[in-house]
Amino acid sequence: MTTSLRSRLVIGIVGGMVLLLTVFSLTVYILIQRALINQFDSALLSTAQVLAASVEIDANNIDLEDVQQMPEFNDPKNQTYYQIWEQDGAIVARSPLLGTDDLPRLETSPGTPVLKALNTRNDPPQRAVCLKFLPRTETTEQEAHEQPANDKILTLTVARGAGGLYNQLSLLRWLLFVASAVAIALSVLIAAFIVRRGLRPLHSIASEIAAVREDDLAIRIGTASVPAEIQPIKNRLNDLLSRLEGAFKRERRFTADVAHELRTPLAGIRSTIEVNLTRTRDITEHQSTLSECLEIVENMQTMVDNLLLLARLDAQQINLQSEQIRLAELVNSCWRPLSDKAADHKITFDNRIDSEITFESDRHNLSIIISNVLENAVEYADRGGQIRTTGRQADGSVEITVSNTGCRLNKEQAAQVFDRFWRGDSSRKDAGVHCGLGLALVERIIKALGGSTTAEVENGGIFKIRMTLPAK
Amino acid sequence: MRLLVIEDYRPLQQSLKKGLREAGFAVDTTGDGKEGLWYALSNDYDVIILDLMLPGIDGLKILKELRSKGRQSHVLILTAKDTLQDRITGLDHGADDYLVKPFEFRELLARVRALVRRSYRKKNPQIKIKDLRIDLTTQRVWHGRKELDLTPREYALLEYLAMRTGQTVSRTDIWEHVYEFNSSASSNVVDVYIGYLRKKIEQPGKPPLIHTVRGRGYLLGGQP
Repeated sequence: MTTSLRSRLVIGIVGGMVLLLTVFSLTVYILIQRALINQFDSALLSTAQVLAASVEIDANNIDLEDVQQMPEFNDPKNQTYYQIWEQDGAIVARSPLLGTDDLPRLETSPGTPVLKALNTRNDPPQRAVCLKFLPRTETTEQEAHEQPANDKILTLTVARGAGGLYNQLSLLRWLLFVASAVAIALSVLIAAFIVRRGLRPLHSIASEIAAVREDDLAIRIGTASVPAEIQPIKNRLNDLLSRLEGAFKRERRFTADVAHELRTPLAGIRSTIEVNLTRTRDITEHQSTLSECLEIVENMQTMVDNLLLLARLDAQQINLQSEQIRLAELVNSCWRPLSDKAADHKITFDNRIDSEITFESDRHNLSIIISNVLENAVEYADRGGQIRTTGRQADGSVEITVSNTGCRLNKEQAAQVFDRFWRGDSSRKDAGVHCGLGLALVERIIKALGGSTTAEVENGGIFKIRMTLPAK
Repeated sequence: MRLLVIEDYRPLQQSLKKGLREAGFAVDTTGDGKEGLWYALSNDYDVIILDLMLPGIDGLKILKELRSKGRQSHVLILTAKDTLQDRITGLDHGADDYLVKPFEFRELLARVRALVRRSYRKKNPQIKIKDLRIDLTTQRVWHGRKELDLTPREYALLEYLAMRTGQTVSRTDIWEHVYEFNSSASSNVVDVYIGYLRKKIEQPGKPPLIHTVRGRGYLLGGQP
């Protein structure tokens, strides 16, 4: 089975044409053939009837005088012959033109003549009519009332050469065949032309698609008008293109961001080492250089780990294990590593989560979330500020909020905090340490846990992250 | 020569400060855009090393502000942004040089030295004043064939005077170009160091190289 739409359509159209023309030609041929044969046969029959009427019986003698004068049987050009038999099969008379050949005596009854094509060896072919008849008698008054003598019934066969008829028919056959063949040949060309024209929009769309390059996905297909049937394909393709374009753009920006965020600490390590190597130094100086570099490497490792985690979350390769969690306890344990830094900045921590709140979730990922949000809060709270956590459990979900004072973001900026590598302007006080992945990670993990995240700025510079998680 | 480093990534900022100081520059540092702009406007730095992504005000805005206020300090942009467009934008905003992170420290030093020479219209990295020969690259000084042993501070002072050969240089200028912002030295320290320097580069019986121009400052290589 061919898969080309074009050849399928052409074959379909041409096949239909062949079928149609065959039926049409056969019908025409049969009708004309019948009409011609009927015409021929009725002429033959009337000749036979005239002949039968001309036969006279005088006493017991058959008088064929009239017959012999009929012009049809005397001119060989007419190719018309007759032969008459008696009941017992004795030949009464025959056309002198017959020569030695006999005409067949066909089975028939009086009043119903039989018409037939003769399978004679002779050429041209003939058609014959055979009928039984009671010849006319020289009537006297008394004889007229006598029963007709059945033994006087004669059988007559009249044959006529039908070469002209069959020639006409065979000419008609050829005519119909040639005309059909020409029509079919033309229909192939016409169908090919129509199909090619009809499919032209497909070709132009195909070449437009072929022109799409992965480094320039901004172009759209079918800017010129396209037929209604192709419109949905065009629309889907364009949707796909714009989604691809968006994905590629995000990917490129992300890669650029990763490169940028790795370059800065790399520049730090390189410059620290190079400066250290510019002259001979004592061991304590080398030691402090090494620990500076180690610190940078640790930060880079955190960032790479976060990137890897994000990539796994994106690829949905994360294992979740459900266990009973006491929220207040978990928040406190996440706060512990941050408490020293908070104390340095005179930041107070107010955990208002009810110790009764328990639900099932993945402990490991939930602590990553809480730690990241708390770390973010410590990072951006003002000196002497406050961090507050609240929790609420209702209708199969848990809502956790973490808020901190000292926020300098506006509402639009607050909506951006979950973007990868986004940092509020004032937030770069620890460049390289916080690369803007923490909250992106939070949002992504919560999504994997089936929850949602929002960030809002309240009056008085309070930044609040609200996380909703499904809880059983 | 006095430099300002505006870089918010602390490990890099600290290593730049250390390396540049050891290379003989007076270095001020800040990690904040607003503070950086204030520093740059309040002192006449020879070269400013500027990061682009900064808290407060970003690097390009600092640059624009400096140029619109007519500051002539040479600016070297030091950033992780590496695209052609970034470089073009940086230079077109009035930067004099552009270096992409991570970079080789020796290259940064060479570029800073080149910018300093350009500041004082010195194409030749060697300056000759009478018998005195100063190599700006290696920071070595010869008197005739004899190499002089100068402390970094003495060298910095001599280099600044040599850059402005033939001009009378005020104490304030010297102060601004040789000492750092947080330096605790008092202003007569300049006179003290001029004294040290004279002892090392001048020879008894020969005409002095450094002239004191009363009430205005000092002059190296020329007649007051």
